[in-house]
Amino acid sequence: MSSSDALSEGLGRQKPDAESNVTRRDFLNEVAAAALGVAGLGATAVTVKYLSPNVLFEPPTQFRAGAPDDFPVNSVTYIRDQQVYIVRMSAGFYAVSAVCTHLGCITQWKPEENQIACPCHGSKFTREGAKVAGPAPRALPHFAVRLAPDGQLLVDKLEIVKETQVLKV
Amino acid sequence: MATTWAQQTLNQLRSTRVWNSIFRRGPARTNRTRSLAIFGNILLHALPAKVREKSLRLRATYYLGSFSFFLFVVLSVTGVLLMFYYHPAVPEAYRDMKDLRFVVSNGVFLRNLHRLAAHVMVVVVFWHMFHVFFRGGYKPPHEFNWVVGVGLLLVTLFLSYTGYLLPWDQLAFWAITVGTNIISYVPVLGRPIRYLLLGGNIISENALLRFYVLHCIILPLAAVMLIAVHFWRVQKDGGITVREDHEQ
Amino acid sequence: MSNKPNYEAGLGSDAKKDPRRIVFITKKTSAKVKGDVGPQVMSYPHVLIREVIAFQALTIVLVLIALLWDAPLEQLANPLLTPNPAKAPWYFLGLQELLHYFPPVVGGVLIPTLVVVALIVIPYFHVNIQGEPFWKSRRRHLLPVVGSVLAALVALLGAYEAWTVLVPTAVIGGAVLGAKFLLPGQGRLAGFLNSRPLPWWVMTWFITVALTLTIVGTFFRGPSWSWVWPWR
Repeated sequence: MSSSDALSEGLGRQKPDAESNVTRRDFLNEVAAAALGVAGLGATAVTVKYLSPNVLFEPPTQFRAGAPDDFPVNSVTYIRDQQVYIVRMSAGFYAVSAVCTHLGCITQWKPEENQIACPCHGSKFTREGAKVAGPAPRALPHFAVRLAPDGQLLVDKLEIVKETQVLKV
Repeated sequence: MATTWAQQTLNQLRSTRVWNSIFRRGPARTNRTRSLAIFGNILLHALPAKVREKSLRLRATYYLGSFSFFLFVVLSVTGVLLMFYYHPAVPEAYRDMKDLRFVVSNGVFLRNLHRLAAHVMVVVVFWHMFHVFFRGGYKPPHEFNWVVGVGLLLVTLFLSYTGYLLPWDQLAFWAITVGTNIISYVPVLGRPIRYLLLGGNIISENALLRFYVLHCIILPLAAVMLIAVHFWRVQKDGGITVREDHEQ
Repeated sequence: MSNKPNYEAGLGSDAKKDPRRIVFITKKTSAKVKGDVGPQVMSYPHVLIREVIAFQALTIVLVLIALLWDAPLEQLANPLLTPNPAKAPWYFLGLQELLHYFPPVVGGVLIPTLVVVALIVIPYFHVNIQGEPFWKSRRRHLLPVVGSVLAALVALLGAYEAWTVLVPTAVIGGAVLGAKFLLPGQGRLAGFLNSRPLPWWVMTWFITVALTLTIVGTFFRGPSWSWVWPWR
């Protein structure tokens, strides 16, 4: 083991041999302890790597929302399986997260109030996701919306974009 | 100084209040502190503070009893780690075995280690029993400890058997089919015992879950309790039996 | 057990007072194995360092083998398709081989139960503490008894055609009988066998039979539990 060799060499070089009062027993004990330490670190590293999953059985974070013509202009459509609002304004499309930024409850679009409202603690947002009222600390994030090759809207929940970015269709 | 840097650091640590609140006996350099190291320690106080030198020789016991216990420790550690990825349900169980083999980092190694240690433990436990027999370690006053040992043998076999089903592959399924059908031949109680063991009449999700609970909770607890009694009795009955004849 | 009472009756120092008090001094009621105590050493460090080394050695060996040898994983369990042969885990294959010869109640329930009960009872059953050899001179009249027991056992096993059990039984039986006729001077093996006590013979027979059954069940049994030669 190279690291314990380095450690033991380091210990040996600390005093010149002629003056050293380190016994062989002490030296070997410390080499053994260092070796055990390396083995322990190795076992810990193996265990931690093992415990961190490489493959997740979770729903995919990219999804197709449908054809652009499915969404009328000036509409807010809630995609329930993905917790995303597809908002189409005259300028274009954007996707707003429906997960409240306060503590993670799922918000609701209230067309009569023209607001996104969170039932848990009363936070309120505009259809652009800007916070209007309530304890939420931030605006609702926007997700990247693109046009897939087959013509459908492609939303990527892992990519957060600026609120001003819209997809022109 | 006549000490290395590591020893100096250790000595400094030992003089702190924090250290002395945890480790109270001081360095084990006198027979008094060495005794305290054993019977002042919650894990070690089942050992005697002194042992006969003859019992330490490799050929006295081949350390078979110790190896049985160490294998149990290895199995417990690897078993707990495997529990993080294994769902005891059908069909997830088999999928998780594939997951462990191909996807999880070091999964194949941990499963190999677990299964290997299980098979080796059955061999070592049997060997330990035969070796204790041939050196007369069952004779009075060690009779009860022998019986506890037989109990541990049965727990080991049953642990291995319940674990065998968990991969939910053909090997597992049919091996357990053969075994549970043998149980049903026990007169009077056979069929009810099989029904309780399987949680039904056939080997299905209920059987898998029950075997999982047996394998991970009930039997390990039984094993730990019997091991504690077993170690304690060795000490209380006068220590390890060493063969006296000159062939040793 | 002796029929002498295991106590001595005496009068306590205040025996003159009313009520009378009688002192019972019991002799030791459990036999202790006599072995010399011998020199002792402190558990710390001598026991602990050896246990630590043993644990490390075991871990290294296990890890090396686990890195090289993969545990098997067959196809998904299919309740509709029984593999042929359907074998139990190796430590139960001896039992499965036994089941080949005897009906399930006998081979699957009766014999294993008897084995476990016999194991448990060993320390309580007329324990031969001194380890006296089986064929001590005053026991030579047991020869016809031993011979007929062995003959009956072999005949019974033959009636059930349980060859895998019969062969080791015959071998051990031959060794028991042969040991009687071997004089101690005829070599080390003769001296060794001649000195073995009965529990040793019984346990050796049990281990031999169990090993044979397990080895046959593991390597020599193929589809439909037919006999196969493992190298084919």
